[in-house]
Amino acid sequence: MPADPTIAIRLIRQVANQDRDAFSQLYDRFSTLVFTLAMRMLRARSDAEDLLQDVFVQVWRQAQNYSTERGTPEAWIVNIARSRAIDKIRSIRRMEKSFVLTDDPARAESSDNVESSAAESEARMAMNSALANLPETHRKVLELAYFGGLTQTEIATRLAEPLGTVKTRMRSAIQRLREMLGAQVV
Amino acid sequence: MSNEHEHWREHGEIYALGALDGQELKEFEAHLASGCAICEAYVRETRETLAVLHRSLRPDAPPLAIKSRILDQIAPQAIVRPRQEKTPWLNWNWWGLGIAAVATAAVALVLIANLTRTQSELEKAKAQLAALKIESAQKDELLQLLSSQDVRLIELKGLEAAPAARAKLFWNPGARSGVLLINGLPKTPTDKAYELWGIAGTEPVPAGVFRVDDQGQARFRMPVLGRGKNFDKFAVTLEPAAGVEKPSGPMVLLGSL
Repeated sequence: MPADPTIAIRLIRQVANQDRDAFSQLYDRFSTLVFTLAMRMLRARSDAEDLLQDVFVQVWRQAQNYSTERGTPEAWIVNIARSRAIDKIRSIRRMEKSFVLTDDPARAESSDNVESSAAESEARMAMNSALANLPETHRKVLELAYFGGLTQTEIATRLAEPLGTVKTRMRSAIQRLREMLGAQVV
Repeated sequence: MSNEHEHWREHGEIYALGALDGQELKEFEAHLASGCAICEAYVRETRETLAVLHRSLRPDAPPLAIKSRILDQIAPQAIVRPRQEKTPWLNWNWWGLGIAAVATAAVALVLIANLTRTQSELEKAKAQLAALKIESAQKDELLQLLSSQDVRLIELKGLEAAPAARAKLFWNPGARSGVLLINGLPKTPTDKAYELWGIAGTEPVPAGVFRVDDQGQARFRMPVLGRGKNFDKFAVTLEPAAGVEKPSGPMVLLGSL
């Protein structure tokens, strides 16, 4: 279960007042999470390091914009990281470099690959029970969107599935996770 | 989520996942921008749920050097930004603002001066144009007056008071007017003026006053005189500046038809 966000909220408010010690503590608290996510999404260590740096510089500059209405500090920081990672992925895609592993050695540093069944098995082992209990087809659309930065239309094209099917799987997967995690529905 | 927002539910979940696109994305973003707190909260809650995805990953610690790089990167701003956050106006470059303000004021003054000068030049040009129109009309009128077959030329000669003076009067008896061209008259005293007279027999009729320039020259367009008098002579006398009804000063020019 996620840690109590109270301390992180206090740290962000201190960072908003340019408190470097608080920023250092905030970094220690979330840098591994951001870097792990960046590695999963970008799968190149150099890109993940750059993204980690960009995310925390943005946190430093925009801490005054954070409010609890935006969610927990973790959700806020992860959202910044995902947005930047997706921008990077789409930029690479525009350059006609697939976000999946190519022959580019720099992109072959990670062993994770959403297209690889072996890697999927490895990732599945690391996931918590709620995620592992999702049907593979449902989990896959979540991963392609969440880690791959693909839109619903792109996923439908990639999987050669109707758009409606992809939407249904996404919604169904989220509902299952919500039920299993006992999240409160608004 | 209330029933009225049920149709946004699908969009909200896929939006939180980052997969919404196209027209649906535009519509949902517009809906969020309209300030729908229910959907905003639903997106936030869905993101919290989806956090299970990144939490499930095996942790991968970043290199220690990155933290130092980030701290170095934010260092300069740490000196400057606290004031900026609390009271941004205190951190402005007042010298820069002052110079900018002076420069702006100088430009404004130059523009105003240019505008004023332009307006002045425009007014002057308008006045010149009006004067030229008047002069042109006068010349047209003069040309019409002098081109008449009735015009008579009368030469006036200087008398004892101004022996070098000469004048020519183009007199149009039909129009009862004419033009007097003068040379060689003494400069007009400040309190005096020369006065032209039409003389019918022995009766002088005032025909206007004029002054000459430093060279003793003048071109004088005489006013339209009343009918009933047949002039046979014309004369010029030196009179008070306002002119008089009867000659009182010395006669300087005299000419006969």
